[in-house]
Amino acid sequence: MVAWSITRASLTALLVLAGAALSCKSSNGAAQTSSPLCTAAAPGPAPLRRLTRFEIARSLADIMGTDPSLVDDLPPDEESDGYDNSSAAYSVSPLHAEKLLDLGEAAGAALIADGARLRAFAGCDPTTDGADCVNAFIRALGGQLWRRPLADGEVSDLAALVPPAGISAAIAVMVQSPGFVYRAEAPATPGTKLPASALATRLSYLVTSTAPDAALLAAVSDGSLMTGTGLSSQTDRLLATPRAAEAFEHFVNEWWELDSLPSVEKDTDLFRTWTDDLPAAFAEETRRFLDDAWQNGPTLARLFTGSVTYADVNLADFYGYPLPAQPGFQPIAVDPAHAAGLFSQGSFLATHAKADQTSPVLRGKFVRSRLFCDPPGPPPANIVITPPVVDPRKSTKERFQEHTADAFCAGCHQLMDPIGFAFEHYDATGRWRDIDAGMPVDATGMLTETDVDGAIDGVQQLTAKLLKSAEVESCVATQWFRWAFGRTEQTPDDVCTIGQLAHALHTAGGDMRSLVRATVQSPTFLLAPTGDAP
Amino acid sequence: MSQPRNGAFSRRAILRGAFGTAVALPWLESLVSRRARADAPAFPTRFVVMFSPNGTIPGNWTPTGTETDFTLSPILAPLAPHQDSLVVIEGVDQRGGGGDGHQNGIGGMLTGQVLNSGPFAGMGSAPAGWPNGPSVDQRIAEVIGTTTKLRSLELGVQVGAADNWGRMIYRAANQPLPPEDDPAQIYANVFADLHADPTALAALRARRKSILDTVGAQYTRIEAQLGAADRARLDEHLTAVREIEQRLTTPFVPPTPACQDPASPAAATTANDDFPAIGSVQMDLLVMALACDITRVASLQWSRSVSQVRFTWLPSPIPEGHHDLSHRPDNDAVAVDKLTRINNWYATQLAALMTRMKAVPEGDGTLLDHTMILWCNELAIGNVHSRTDAPYVLGGGAGGALRTGRFLTYAGDVPHNNLLVSLMNIMGVPDQTFGKPDWCTGPLTGLS
Repeated sequence: MVAWSITRASLTALLVLAGAALSCKSSNGAAQTSSPLCTAAAPGPAPLRRLTRFEIARSLADIMGTDPSLVDDLPPDEESDGYDNSSAAYSVSPLHAEKLLDLGEAAGAALIADGARLRAFAGCDPTTDGADCVNAFIRALGGQLWRRPLADGEVSDLAALVPPAGISAAIAVMVQSPGFVYRAEAPATPGTKLPASALATRLSYLVTSTAPDAALLAAVSDGSLMTGTGLSSQTDRLLATPRAAEAFEHFVNEWWELDSLPSVEKDTDLFRTWTDDLPAAFAEETRRFLDDAWQNGPTLARLFTGSVTYADVNLADFYGYPLPAQPGFQPIAVDPAHAAGLFSQGSFLATHAKADQTSPVLRGKFVRSRLFCDPPGPPPANIVITPPVVDPRKSTKERFQEHTADAFCAGCHQLMDPIGFAFEHYDATGRWRDIDAGMPVDATGMLTETDVDGAIDGVQQLTAKLLKSAEVESCVATQWFRWAFGRTEQTPDDVCTIGQLAHALHTAGGDMRSLVRATVQSPTFLLAPTGDAP
Repeated sequence: MSQPRNGAFSRRAILRGAFGTAVALPWLESLVSRRARADAPAFPTRFVVMFSPNGTIPGNWTPTGTETDFTLSPILAPLAPHQDSLVVIEGVDQRGGGGDGHQNGIGGMLTGQVLNSGPFAGMGSAPAGWPNGPSVDQRIAEVIGTTTKLRSLELGVQVGAADNWGRMIYRAANQPLPPEDDPAQIYANVFADLHADPTALAALRARRKSILDTVGAQYTRIEAQLGAADRARLDEHLTAVREIEQRLTTPFVPPTPACQDPASPAAATTANDDFPAIGSVQMDLLVMALACDITRVASLQWSRSVSQVRFTWLPSPIPEGHHDLSHRPDNDAVAVDKLTRINNWYATQLAALMTRMKAVPEGDGTLLDHTMILWCNELAIGNVHSRTDAPYVLGGGAGGALRTGRFLTYAGDVPHNNLLVSLMNIMGVPDQTFGKPDWCTGPLTGLS
C-alpha cells in the first residue's frame, strides 16, 4: 500500500546538500549569517494527513464543547522520529475503527446533553423541532466538522438516520467520517495554488492544531485569505491565540522527547525526594514556561537559557528554589548559574536519565540528534553494550569514560557522552548537585564534529555554543519542517525550504514564530503537491 | 502518571470467582459432560501467542535430557506442573531483516518477513517500517476465525507507543494490529453479550449497524475523489469499518457453562509496579474470550521489544530496566542471575495462563487440551541481539494435533519460518510455506 521511494543514501545526499547550503562554518567555528542558496520551487509530496489524537480532541472541543479526554481511549498515534503526525507511519486497524465509533457516540451524547450548545448550531432543537431543524443542524455542524459545505445528498443520508436512531447517531457518523478524521484535499494540478478552503485547513492545523475558527472561515468566504496580506494577517491573528501557544507546547514536547514524562519513575532508595507527583509537576512547569515564552518571544535563547521557571511550593522545594509566596504555580527566578531554560527542567532531565543514575549518553544523544540533526551512527555489530553499573565509589563521569577509553565504543560515544557530561550538575531526577559519589561534580565536556566545536564546562557554556551555531538553526528548522508537514524532507526543494526556514529563524533572532510565518510563505504550504506521496 | 496503584488491581479477584466457583460445582461438571456427549466433538482448536522481550539466557533456558525424558531449566522450571503439555524447541533460528535487531526481531518473529523501509529510525540502521507480510496467527485466523465474533483478539500489557518496536501482529503487509492495553476496554467491548441487557444490546447494535453503514458509504464516496495513494489509506480504514460492522451481526452463543461474565476490571495504568496485576487480568480476559468462543485466535504481548520494565516485585527486587540489564556481558554473574529471574517470571506467567485454561472444562478434557500456545521472544540473546537458537515453547494439546511432553533440538540452519509453517499445519491450515519464501523450506521436521 505504501511505496517507499526515498532511500537512506538519497537522504544522506540531501543532507549533504543541506550542509552545503546551510551550515556556513567559518574557521573559528562561529556562525555566519546564512542566506539560503536556493529558492524552493516545487512543493513536493503531501501525503494524506490523519488528525492526531491531540488534534481530534481540540477540534471536537472547539466545535462541540466536548471534553478533550474523550480521545484518551483511541489507540496511540504512531510516532516517527518522535512526531505523532507522520503520514508515513500511521495505519488503521479494526481497533481504531471501533474506538472512533465509541468516540463518535460519546461526542454525540455529550452534545445532546448540552442543550444550549446543541441549539446554537441552527437556532433550533434538532431533537424536537422536526426535519427542517435536523437538516439545518446537520449542515451547520457537518460544515464545521468536515471543514467544507455538505452536499445535499450527504445531508439527506445523515438525516435519514435520525428517525430511527436519533440526532446523536448523525453526530456519531460525522465524527467518524473521513471528512473529519482525514484532511483529504481534492486532487488539483500539481504546483497550482490551493483553493482557499484547503489553505484554511492547512493554516489552522499548522498554527493551532485545531479546526478553522469563524474568523478564518470568514476570510475564506470573502476571498481575503487568498491575498498575501490576508494570509499574513490571519497567520498573525492565529499566532496570538491560546490555541497557538498550546500547539507550540505540543511541538516542543515532541521535539524535546518529553512524551515519556508521565511514566517516568525513579529508584526511590537512591532518590529519596522523588515522588509520584513529580512528573505531572514537571509537565506543568514546562507548560507554563513555554506559554510564557510564547507570549514574550519564543526565542531559542529563551528556550536554552531562560532563568525564570514556574513551580508551586512542592516543586520549588524539590528543586531547592525559593518558595513562591502565592499558592499554585508561580514564576520563580532561578539562580542564573543553575538555570538553563528547558535544559534545567525536570521534564527534560528526568526523561533523559535512567531510573538509578544520570545518562550522559541520553542527554548527549538528545543534543546531537535533536539540536544538530546528526544522530550517532551504529554501534559496531555484535558488541556487548554494557551501561556502567552504579558504583557508589565512582562518579558517573568516571564510569562513562570507559566508553571513550574503549576504542570499540569510542567511535560513537565520543559524539554523545562528552556533550552529556555538561549536564552532570543535574541528577537523574533533575535536581542540581555539586557532589557526585563524594566528589565535586565534573561537568567538563566537549563538542566535536559541529560548527561550534570546543571544550565546555557545564550547561551554560554548552548553550552559549548552541546559540552561535548555524547547524542548530538549520536543525531546528528541519525539526519544524517535519512537524509542520507530517513528513521528512525528501526532495532538493524541501532542502531549500528548510534553508529558507532557517534563514527566517536567524533573521528573527531565533524567534520560533518566524518558522510559522516562513512556512506559510513556502510552496510546500501554498501549492498543490507535486510527486507521489511516499 | 501517578495513577492510583494500591488496590487499583485486586489481582486474581477478578475472575477467580467466576472460574473457581464454576468448576467446583458438581452439577456443573455433569452438565458439561452431558453437553459434551450430546454434541461432541464441539470444541474448536485455538491458537494463542505469548510474547516476552529482550532475549533470554540460553544456558539457563535450555532443558537437559532427551526428547521425552527431560529436565526443565532454571528459567522454565515454573512450567513443571504442565511439562506433559509442553513442547520445548531449541535450535531454531529466528530470521529477520531491516531496521535494528529489536525492530526486525519483533517484526519478523511471527511474520517470517523482513521489514519494509519506512519511517522508524532504529539505532544506527536505515529507517524501517512494518513487515512485508501477515503474522502467522492472522493467517490461521483467516481459516479458523471466520465464524466467531472476533477474528482475533490482541491483548497487551503496558505495550504503549505505536511503532515497529511495539507491534508483532500484522493483518497483512504494513498493517499492524495494535494490542489493547486496557482490560476495562476489553471488558466493555468484548464481553458486552455477557453483561448488557439483551434488549438494549440489540437496539444498540441495530443503531451501530446503521451508523457504520453510513460511515462506510462516506469512505467509499470520498475514495472515488482521491489519488491512488490517498485512496489506499482510506480503503484500509473502510476495511476496518466493515470488519467491526460484521461483528455486530455475528451471533453470540455461549458454548459452555464455563463461559461467565468476568467482573468489570479497573482501567490500566502505566505504573511499573502494576505490570503483573494488569497482565493477570488480561490473562483472565483472554482465557474467558476463548472459553466463550468469542475468538479462537488471541495474543498476549508483555511490554515491547527494548522493554525497560523494572522487576521490583520479585522476592529479590531488580531495580534496573530490563533492556539495560539485557546488554550486560555474559561474564556478569549478577546480571545473568537477574535476567534468569526475569525470564523465569515470564515462564511463571505462561504457567499461570495454562493453569487458567486447564480450569475450563471442555468435554472430557479442558480448554488447554484444545489450544496451542506459542511463547516467543524477539531475540535469543539480548547483549548481542542474536536470534540464533531462539527460545520457543509450545503449550497445550491443539485438540490432539500436537504431541506434547517433548523437548526438541535442532542442529544447523533451521529457519523459524519452518516452525511457523508447522504451527499453521497443526491448526489445520495446510500451507507449505510462510513468510519470505527463501527463508522457508517447509514444515519443521518432527514437530507434529
